[in-house]
Amino acid sequence: MSTANIRTGRALAIIALMLGAAAPFAGSPYRSARGQVDVAGLAGMIAREEDHVTALELATWIHDRKSGLRIIDVREPAEFAAYQIPTAENVPLSQFRRLSVKPEETVVLYSGGGAHAAQAWVFIRAMGHRQVFFLASGLNEWIDEVMNPVASTPITRYFGGVARPEGSTSPSASTTADKVKQLRRRGC
Amino acid sequence: MTDSLVLAFVIGVAFGFTLERAGLADAPKLARQFYLTDLTVFKVMFSALVTAMLGLFWLGRLGVVDVSAIYVPETFMAPQFLGGLVFGLGFVACGLCPGTSCVSAATGRLDGVAVIGGLFAGVVAMGFAVPAIAPFFTSGARGTFTIPDALHLPYGVVVFAVTLMALGGFMVAERIEARA
Repeated sequence: MSTANIRTGRALAIIALMLGAAAPFAGSPYRSARGQVDVAGLAGMIAREEDHVTALELATWIHDRKSGLRIIDVREPAEFAAYQIPTAENVPLSQFRRLSVKPEETVVLYSGGGAHAAQAWVFIRAMGHRQVFFLASGLNEWIDEVMNPVASTPITRYFGGVARPEGSTSPSASTTADKVKQLRRRGC
Repeated sequence: MTDSLVLAFVIGVAFGFTLERAGLADAPKLARQFYLTDLTVFKVMFSALVTAMLGLFWLGRLGVVDVSAIYVPETFMAPQFLGGLVFGLGFVACGLCPGTSCVSAATGRLDGVAVIGGLFAGVVAMGFAVPAIAPFFTSGARGTFTIPDALHLPYGVVVFAVTLMALGGFMVAERIEARA
Protein backbone atom coordinates (compact mmCIF):
# COMPACT_ATOMS: atom_id res chain seq x y z
CA MET A 1 0.00 0.00 0.00
CA SER A 2 1.39 3.43 -0.91
CA THR A 3 2.11 6.09 1.70
CA ALA A 4 -0.64 8.30 0.26
CA ASN A 5 -3.15 5.45 0.57
CA ILE A 6 -2.11 4.79 4.15
CA ARG A 7 -2.48 8.48 4.93
CA THR A 8 -5.98 8.60 3.36
CA GLY A 9 -6.96 5.44 5.23
CA ARG A 10 -5.80 6.90 8.54
CA ALA A 11 -7.63 10.18 7.90
CA LEU A 12 -10.87 8.32 7.09
CA ALA A 13 -10.46 6.14 10.18
CA ILE A 14 -10.01 9.23 12.37
CA ILE A 15 -13.10 10.89 10.83
CA ALA A 16 -15.14 7.69 11.39
CA LEU A 17 -13.89 7.46 14.98
CA MET A 18 -14.81 11.09 15.68
CA LEU A 19 -18.28 10.76 14.15
CA GLY A 20 -18.79 7.48 16.03
CA ALA A 21 -17.55 8.86 19.35
CA ALA A 22 -19.87 11.88 19.09
CA ALA A 23 -22.90 9.70 18.25
CA PRO A 24 -23.76 8.62 21.85
CA PHE A 25 -24.06 12.29 22.83
CA ALA A 26 -26.07 13.35 19.79
CA GLY A 27 -29.42 11.95 20.86
CA SER A 28 -31.82 10.05 18.66
CA PRO A 29 -31.58 10.30 14.86
CA TYR A 30 -35.35 9.84 14.63
CA ARG A 31 -37.43 12.94 14.04
CA SER A 32 -39.88 12.03 16.75
CA ALA A 33 -40.03 9.57 19.58
CA ARG A 34 -40.48 6.07 18.26
CA GLY A 35 -42.87 3.75 19.94
CA GLN A 36 -44.16 0.26 19.65
CA VAL A 37 -47.64 -0.68 20.68
CA ASP A 38 -48.41 -4.03 22.23
CA VAL A 39 -52.00 -4.00 21.02
CA ALA A 40 -53.18 -7.09 22.93
CA GLY A 41 -51.40 -5.99 26.12
CA LEU A 42 -52.89 -2.50 26.07
CA ALA A 43 -56.36 -3.80 25.17
CA GLY A 44 -56.16 -6.16 28.16
CA MET A 45 -55.19 -3.32 30.51
CA ILE A 46 -58.08 -1.21 29.23
CA ALA A 47 -60.52 -4.11 29.68
CA ARG A 48 -59.28 -4.69 33.24
CA GLU A 49 -59.51 -0.92 33.86
CA GLU A 50 -55.85 -0.77 34.86
CA ASP A 51 -55.27 2.19 32.58
CA HIS A 52 -56.89 4.95 34.62
CA VAL A 53 -57.28 6.29 38.14
CA THR A 54 -60.27 8.01 39.67
CA ALA A 55 -60.06 11.61 40.81
CA LEU A 56 -60.30 10.50 44.44
CA GLU A 57 -57.39 8.07 43.99
CA LEU A 58 -55.31 10.84 42.44
CA ALA A 59 -56.27 13.23 45.24
CA THR A 60 -55.17 10.63 47.79
CA TRP A 61 -51.84 10.15 45.99
CA ILE A 62 -51.20 13.91 46.02
CA HIS A 63 -52.24 14.12 49.67
CA ASP A 64 -49.96 11.20 50.63
CA ARG A 65 -47.09 12.64 48.57
CA LYS A 66 -46.78 9.37 46.66
CA SER A 67 -43.15 8.95 45.70
CA GLY A 68 -42.32 9.54 42.03
CA LEU A 69 -45.79 10.92 41.26
CA ARG A 70 -45.81 13.15 38.20
CA ILE A 71 -49.06 14.76 37.11
CA ILE A 72 -49.18 15.98 33.55
CA ASP A 73 -51.83 18.31 32.17
CA VAL A 74 -52.02 17.74 28.41
CA ARG A 75 -54.20 20.80 27.68
CA GLU A 76 -52.95 23.98 26.05
CA PRO A 77 -50.94 26.46 28.20
CA ALA A 78 -53.80 29.02 28.38
CA GLU A 79 -56.19 26.41 29.78
CA PHE A 80 -53.53 25.19 32.18
CA ALA A 81 -52.92 28.75 33.38
CA ALA A 82 -56.64 29.22 34.10
CA TYR A 83 -56.88 26.19 36.36
CA GLN A 84 -54.84 23.09 37.07
CA ILE A 85 -54.70 20.22 39.54
CA PRO A 86 -52.17 21.05 42.29
CA THR A 87 -48.56 19.94 41.54
CA ALA A 88 -49.39 19.29 37.86
CA GLU A 89 -47.03 20.30 35.07
CA ASN A 90 -48.16 21.32 31.60
CA VAL A 91 -47.09 19.25 28.58
CA PRO A 92 -49.53 19.90 25.69
CA LEU A 93 -50.05 16.98 23.30
CA SER A 94 -48.12 18.85 20.58
CA GLN A 95 -45.03 18.81 22.83
CA PHE A 96 -45.32 15.15 23.79
CA ARG A 97 -42.45 13.91 21.69
CA ARG A 98 -40.08 15.91 23.94
CA LEU A 99 -41.43 14.33 27.11
CA SER A 100 -38.96 12.16 28.96
CA VAL A 101 -40.14 9.93 31.75
CA LYS A 102 -37.87 8.26 34.32
CA PRO A 103 -38.53 4.56 35.08
CA GLU A 104 -39.25 5.27 38.77
CA GLU A 105 -41.93 7.86 37.99
CA THR A 106 -45.66 7.24 38.14
CA VAL A 107 -47.33 9.42 35.57
CA VAL A 108 -50.95 10.54 35.76
CA LEU A 109 -52.28 12.32 32.69
CA TYR A 110 -55.35 14.48 32.58
CA SER A 111 -57.17 16.72 30.17
CA GLY A 112 -60.47 18.60 30.26
CA GLY A 113 -62.74 15.66 29.53
CA GLY A 114 -60.52 12.62 29.37
CA ALA A 115 -60.19 11.75 25.68
CA HIS A 116 -56.94 13.62 25.06
CA ALA A 117 -55.38 12.18 28.22
CA ALA A 118 -56.40 8.67 27.09
CA GLN A 119 -54.72 9.29 23.74
CA ALA A 120 -51.62 10.62 25.51
CA TRP A 121 -51.67 7.43 27.64
CA VAL A 122 -51.29 5.35 24.47
CA PHE A 123 -48.34 7.54 23.37
CA ILE A 124 -46.49 7.10 26.67
CA ARG A 125 -47.21 3.38 26.74
CA ALA A 126 -45.89 3.14 23.18
CA MET A 127 -42.72 4.93 24.33
CA GLY A 128 -42.23 2.01 26.74
CA HIS A 129 -43.20 3.54 30.09
CA ARG A 130 -45.36 1.25 32.22
CA GLN A 131 -46.38 3.24 35.31
CA VAL A 132 -48.81 5.56 33.60
CA PHE A 133 -52.48 6.29 34.19
CA PHE A 134 -55.01 8.88 33.13
CA LEU A 135 -57.84 10.57 34.89
CA ALA A 136 -60.81 8.83 33.25
CA SER A 137 -63.20 11.79 33.12
CA GLY A 138 -60.57 14.49 33.33
CA LEU A 139 -60.88 17.79 35.15
CA ASN A 140 -64.66 17.42 35.17
CA GLU A 141 -64.29 14.44 37.48
CA TRP A 142 -61.74 16.28 39.63
CA ILE A 143 -64.21 19.15 40.12
CA ASP A 144 -67.21 16.86 40.75
CA GLU A 145 -65.54 14.36 43.04
CA VAL A 146 -62.78 16.28 44.81
CA MET A 147 -63.41 20.03 44.72
CA ASN A 148 -67.23 20.15 44.84
CA PRO A 149 -68.47 16.74 45.91
CA VAL A 150 -71.97 16.03 47.17
CA ALA A 151 -70.62 15.61 50.70
CA SER A 152 -67.47 17.23 51.99
CA THR A 153 -64.60 14.93 52.93
CA PRO A 154 -61.16 15.59 54.48
CA ILE A 155 -59.68 15.28 50.99
CA THR A 156 -62.00 18.02 49.68
CA ARG A 157 -61.03 20.31 52.57
CA TYR A 158 -57.34 19.50 52.03
CA PHE A 159 -57.58 20.85 48.48
CA GLY A 160 -59.65 23.87 49.56
CA GLY A 161 -62.86 22.60 47.97
CA VAL A 162 -66.40 22.80 49.35
CA ALA A 163 -69.38 20.47 49.17
CA ARG A 164 -72.23 21.37 46.85
CA PRO A 165 -75.20 23.17 48.40
CA GLU A 166 -78.03 20.86 49.52
CA GLY A 167 -80.17 19.76 46.56
CA SER A 168 -77.79 21.13 43.93
CA THR A 169 -76.84 18.72 41.17
CA SER A 170 -74.05 20.78 39.73
CA PRO A 171 -70.97 22.06 41.50
CA SER A 172 -71.56 25.79 41.10
CA ALA A 173 -71.02 27.03 44.63
CA SER A 174 -67.32 27.67 44.56
CA THR A 175 -64.93 29.91 42.74
CA THR A 176 -63.15 26.77 41.50
CA ALA A 177 -66.21 25.87 39.50
CA ASP A 178 -66.42 29.41 38.10
CA LYS A 179 -62.82 29.22 37.01
CA VAL A 180 -63.33 26.08 35.02
CA LYS A 181 -66.83 26.78 33.80
CA GLN A 182 -65.63 27.51 30.31
CA LEU A 183 -63.27 24.54 30.32
CA ARG A 184 -66.05 22.21 31.35
CA ARG A 185 -68.05 22.96 28.25
CA ARG A 186 -65.18 22.18 25.93
CA GLY A 187 -64.65 18.53 26.80
CA CYS A 188 -61.68 16.49 25.62
CA MET B 1 -42.26 5.15 -9.53
CA THR B 2 -40.11 5.95 -12.58
CA ASP B 3 -38.04 8.37 -10.50
CA SER B 4 -37.26 5.72 -7.92
CA LEU B 5 -36.35 3.20 -10.65
CA VAL B 6 -33.98 5.72 -12.24
CA LEU B 7 -32.48 6.42 -8.82
CA ALA B 8 -32.16 2.68 -8.14
CA PHE B 9 -30.40 2.25 -11.49
CA VAL B 10 -27.93 5.05 -10.73
CA ILE B 11 -27.21 3.68 -7.24
CA GLY B 12 -26.86 0.16 -8.68
CA VAL B 13 -24.32 1.30 -11.27
CA ALA B 14 -22.38 3.22 -8.61
CA PHE B 15 -22.45 0.14 -6.36
CA GLY B 16 -21.19 -2.11 -9.17
CA PHE B 17 -18.49 0.37 -10.16
CA THR B 18 -17.27 0.64 -6.56
CA LEU B 19 -17.21 -3.16 -6.15
CA GLU B 20 -15.19 -3.51 -9.34
CA ARG B 21 -12.75 -0.76 -8.30
CA ALA B 22 -12.30 -2.51 -4.96
CA GLY B 23 -11.24 -5.60 -6.91
CA LEU B 24 -14.28 -7.62 -5.95
CA ALA B 25 -15.07 -8.86 -9.48
CA ASP B 26 -12.28 -11.42 -9.16
CA ALA B 27 -13.45 -14.74 -7.70
CA PRO B 28 -9.95 -15.97 -6.66
CA LYS B 29 -9.42 -12.71 -4.74
CA LEU B 30 -12.74 -13.21 -2.97
CA ALA B 31 -11.92 -16.84 -2.24
CA ARG B 32 -8.68 -15.76 -0.54
CA GLN B 33 -10.96 -14.17 2.09
CA PHE B 34 -11.78 -17.66 3.30
CA TYR B 35 -8.10 -18.63 3.48
CA LEU B 36 -7.43 -15.41 5.47
CA THR B 37 -4.78 -14.25 3.01
CA ASP B 38 -6.72 -11.31 1.48
CA LEU B 39 -9.39 -9.63 3.61
CA THR B 40 -10.52 -7.09 1.00
CA VAL B 41 -14.13 -8.33 1.11
CA PHE B 42 -14.30 -7.86 4.87
CA LYS B 43 -12.70 -4.42 4.70
CA VAL B 44 -14.80 -3.16 1.79
CA MET B 45 -18.10 -4.46 3.17
CA PHE B 46 -17.47 -3.28 6.73
CA SER B 47 -16.29 0.14 5.46
CA ALA B 48 -19.51 0.44 3.41
CA LEU B 49 -21.56 -0.55 6.44
CA VAL B 50 -19.88 1.96 8.77
CA THR B 51 -20.07 4.73 6.16
CA ALA B 52 -23.79 4.10 5.65
CA MET B 53 -24.41 3.84 9.40
CA LEU B 54 -22.56 7.06 10.28
CA GLY B 55 -24.06 8.84 7.27
CA LEU B 56 -27.64 7.85 8.08
CA PHE B 57 -27.23 8.52 11.79
CA TRP B 58 -25.87 12.04 11.31
CA LEU B 59 -28.11 12.92 8.36
CA GLY B 60 -31.06 11.74 10.47
CA ARG B 61 -29.83 13.74 13.46
CA LEU B 62 -29.44 16.84 11.28
CA GLY B 63 -32.97 16.34 9.95
CA VAL B 64 -31.92 15.67 6.32
CA VAL B 65 -33.05 12.03 6.24
CA ASP B 66 -36.15 10.60 7.90
CA VAL B 67 -34.63 7.50 9.51
CA SER B 68 -38.01 6.08 10.50
CA ALA B 69 -38.95 5.87 6.79
CA ILE B 70 -36.13 3.40 6.06
CA TYR B 71 -37.41 -0.08 5.40
CA VAL B 72 -36.22 -2.58 7.99
CA PRO B 73 -36.76 -6.21 6.84
CA GLU B 74 -38.58 -8.50 9.23
CA THR B 75 -36.61 -11.01 11.28
CA PHE B 76 -37.32 -14.77 11.01
CA MET B 77 -34.72 -16.50 13.17
CA ALA B 78 -34.38 -20.07 11.87
CA PRO B 79 -35.13 -19.41 8.17
CA GLN B 80 -32.63 -16.54 8.06
CA PHE B 81 -30.02 -18.60 9.88
CA LEU B 82 -30.41 -21.37 7.29
CA GLY B 83 -30.49 -18.80 4.48
CA GLY B 84 -27.22 -17.36 5.79
CA LEU B 85 -25.62 -20.80 5.73
CA VAL B 86 -26.80 -21.41 2.14
CA PHE B 87 -25.48 -17.99 1.15
CA GLY B 88 -22.13 -18.72 2.80
CA LEU B 89 -21.85 -22.14 1.15
CA GLY B 90 -22.58 -20.60 -2.26
CA PHE B 91 -20.04 -17.84 -1.59
CA VAL B 92 -17.31 -20.36 -0.69
CA ALA B 93 -18.18 -22.64 -3.64
CA CYS B 94 -18.26 -19.86 -6.28
CA GLY B 95 -15.98 -17.24 -4.79
CA LEU B 96 -18.74 -14.74 -5.58
CA CYS B 97 -21.82 -13.34 -3.87
CA PRO B 98 -24.88 -11.96 -5.75
CA GLY B 99 -23.52 -8.40 -6.14
CA THR B 100 -19.98 -9.41 -7.04
CA SER B 101 -21.24 -12.08 -9.49
CA CYS B 102 -22.98 -9.32 -11.49
CA VAL B 103 -19.80 -7.22 -11.44
CA SER B 104 -17.77 -10.27 -12.44
CA ALA B 105 -20.12 -11.05 -15.35
CA ALA B 106 -20.18 -7.39 -16.43
CA THR B 107 -16.41 -7.38 -16.67
CA GLY B 108 -16.58 -10.39 -19.03
CA ARG B 109 -15.67 -13.20 -16.64
CA LEU B 110 -17.40 -16.47 -17.53
CA ASP B 111 -17.47 -17.74 -13.93
CA GLY B 112 -19.51 -14.63 -13.09
CA VAL B 113 -22.01 -15.47 -15.83
CA ALA B 114 -22.25 -19.07 -14.57
CA VAL B 115 -22.89 -17.86 -11.00
CA ILE B 116 -25.66 -15.50 -12.19
CA GLY B 117 -27.25 -18.43 -14.06
CA GLY B 118 -27.12 -20.54 -10.90
CA LEU B 119 -28.47 -17.67 -8.85
CA PHE B 120 -31.53 -17.24 -11.07
CA ALA B 121 -32.11 -21.01 -11.19
CA GLY B 122 -32.02 -21.00 -7.39
CA VAL B 123 -34.44 -18.05 -7.16
CA VAL B 124 -36.93 -19.77 -9.49
CA ALA B 125 -36.62 -23.12 -7.67
CA MET B 126 -37.10 -21.34 -4.35
CA GLY B 127 -40.20 -19.58 -5.73
CA PHE B 128 -41.78 -22.92 -6.65
CA ALA B 129 -40.79 -24.44 -3.29
CA VAL B 130 -42.30 -21.66 -1.16
CA PRO B 131 -45.81 -23.22 -0.87
CA ALA B 132 -44.32 -26.53 0.29
CA ILE B 133 -41.98 -24.98 2.87
CA ALA B 134 -44.20 -22.05 3.87
CA PRO B 135 -44.53 -23.16 7.54
CA PHE B 136 -40.74 -23.09 7.95
CA PHE B 137 -40.39 -20.02 5.73
CA THR B 138 -42.46 -17.93 8.13
CA SER B 139 -41.42 -19.56 11.42
CA GLY B 140 -39.67 -17.69 14.21
CA ALA B 141 -41.12 -14.34 13.13
CA ARG B 142 -39.83 -11.59 15.43
CA GLY B 143 -41.18 -8.60 13.52
CA THR B 144 -38.87 -5.73 12.69
CA PHE B 145 -36.18 -4.75 15.10
CA THR B 146 -32.78 -3.13 14.93
CA ILE B 147 -29.69 -3.71 17.09
CA PRO B 148 -30.56 -0.74 19.36
CA ASP B 149 -34.07 -2.25 19.85
CA ALA B 150 -32.72 -5.73 20.57
CA LEU B 151 -30.04 -4.58 23.03
CA HIS B 152 -32.18 -1.80 24.58
CA LEU B 153 -29.32 0.62 24.00
CA PRO B 154 -29.46 4.18 22.67
CA TYR B 155 -28.93 4.36 18.91
CA GLY B 156 -25.78 6.52 19.26
CA VAL B 157 -24.11 4.06 21.64
CA VAL B 158 -24.60 1.23 19.13
CA VAL B 159 -23.22 3.47 16.36
CA PHE B 160 -20.07 4.11 18.42
CA ALA B 161 -19.69 0.42 19.32
CA VAL B 162 -20.01 -0.69 15.68
CA THR B 163 -17.48 2.00 14.62
CA LEU B 164 -14.99 0.71 17.20
CA MET B 165 -15.64 -2.89 16.04
CA ALA B 166 -14.95 -1.86 12.44
CA LEU B 167 -11.74 0.04 13.20
CA GLY B 168 -10.52 -2.78 15.46
CA GLY B 169 -11.46 -5.30 12.75
CA PHE B 170 -9.51 -3.34 10.11
CA MET B 171 -6.40 -3.30 12.32
CA VAL B 172 -6.62 -7.04 12.89
CA ALA B 173 -7.26 -7.62 9.16
CA GLU B 174 -4.15 -5.62 8.20
CA ARG B 175 -2.06 -7.67 10.67
CA ILE B 176 -3.41 -10.95 9.26
CA GLU B 177 -2.71 -9.81 5.68
CA ALA B 178 0.82 -8.68 6.59
CA ARG B 179 1.52 -12.08 8.11
CA ALA B 180 0.13 -14.01 5.13
